[in-house]
Amino acid sequence: MTDDGDISRRYRELAREEPPRHLDDAIRAAARRAVGTRPAPLVVPTGRQRWYFPLAAAAVIVLAVAVTLHVEREQPGEEIASAPPAPAASPPLEPRAEAQAQKPQSAPQPERRRKTESAESRELRDAAPPAELQKAPEPVPTLPPAPPPVGTQDAISSAQQLAKVEGAPPPVAGAAARPAPAPKASAQLRRFEGARSAPSLSASALQSPEQWLQGLADLRKQGRHDEADRSLAEFRKRYPGYRIPEAMLEKVEKR
Amino acid sequence: MLAYGGGDAGAFETLYGRHRGRLFRFILRAVKDRGVAEELFQEAWVRVIESRSRYAPKARFSTWLYTIAHNLLVDHWRKKGLSLVSLDGEDAASESANPARQAEGREALARLLHALEALPAAQREAFLLHEEGGLSVAEIAAVTGAGEEAAKSRLRYAMAKLKAAVDDN
Repeated sequence: MTDDGDISRRYRELAREEPPRHLDDAIRAAARRAVGTRPAPLVVPTGRQRWYFPLAAAAVIVLAVAVTLHVEREQPGEEIASAPPAPAASPPLEPRAEAQAQKPQSAPQPERRRKTESAESRELRDAAPPAELQKAPEPVPTLPPAPPPVGTQDAISSAQQLAKVEGAPPPVAGAAARPAPAPKASAQLRRFEGARSAPSLSASALQSPEQWLQGLADLRKQGRHDEADRSLAEFRKRYPGYRIPEAMLEKVEKR
Repeated sequence: MLAYGGGDAGAFETLYGRHRGRLFRFILRAVKDRGVAEELFQEAWVRVIESRSRYAPKARFSTWLYTIAHNLLVDHWRKKGLSLVSLDGEDAASESANPARQAEGREALARLLHALEALPAAQREAFLLHEEGGLSVAEIAAVTGAGEEAAKSRLRYAMAKLKAAVDDN
């Protein structure tokens, strides 16, 4: 009969199986790795590392500000570029070139006329609603409105007729907001481009009475009395009720 | 274990060297399959490693270690559709008595070992905890989650069957 001690003794005599070596190695390595991997230190790093975070934060802020400023600077330019062009502000260059090609003898004149035009008259012309252009899709070659030559009565009357036909109001002071002669009138006025003094009437038609009178005074000063007389006559027809100031009257009337 | 939890890798070496053979045999003779035994053995030590910072010395380290092993065995049996406790009465002796299994290179095992394999799982575990783990009845009860009386009874029945097997031969 065996007792418990004998059973235990016999049991220990059995084969003493051991885990394989590779298993031992794997478990020991896992234990070493576990001890080696510690949580991140809660202490603030010292030395050079302590500048890493503030430096990175400053760099990010500077970059953000720079980008913001850059975007703000670029936006106005984009708005201008995206703004639709004024309807009659810039007549197409090609039609103008065609017109110049059709009338080579009068080619230099638009340049001269452009120089003599005042800024106001240019604005009036630019602001003119292109009624004809709106009706006809084909762009009408619009030269600067050529006024009738002051030197020819025909031109003056033609200009008057044109003004009546187009319903253009007489150029009075403060007429900037009103529509200027339509492009059709401009096309018809091209017939008078050959006249040397054409710009002056055009300018007069678009000028205010005061400016017109000042132009008259200039003509007198220059000794161009014939032109001045004609212009004065035209002025009186255009502004029959206009009272010319005494000082100006001396300058514009025949001496 | 406390030293290892404090970062002393050498302390683990000591613990492992002290318990590796006994724990391996405990598992091997419980599952009777070397591959499974190696897998469970490694898993048991991995759990030890992972629990190093939470370890509290409420009992002996061996009690805690064999508790881990016991839980792994329970999971293993559960996966196989068996219950360690339910095998308290009749066991899987038919499997262990299979001649083919005996022919799988287990010639080194004596009749005692054969009788041990024939024990019900719970009784075998109690015996192995007692013999390999060096646990007392109270510790066996703590490890297995059974009452002390049940643990004592299992151990007594295991011993009686093993004695009978040895005496019969």
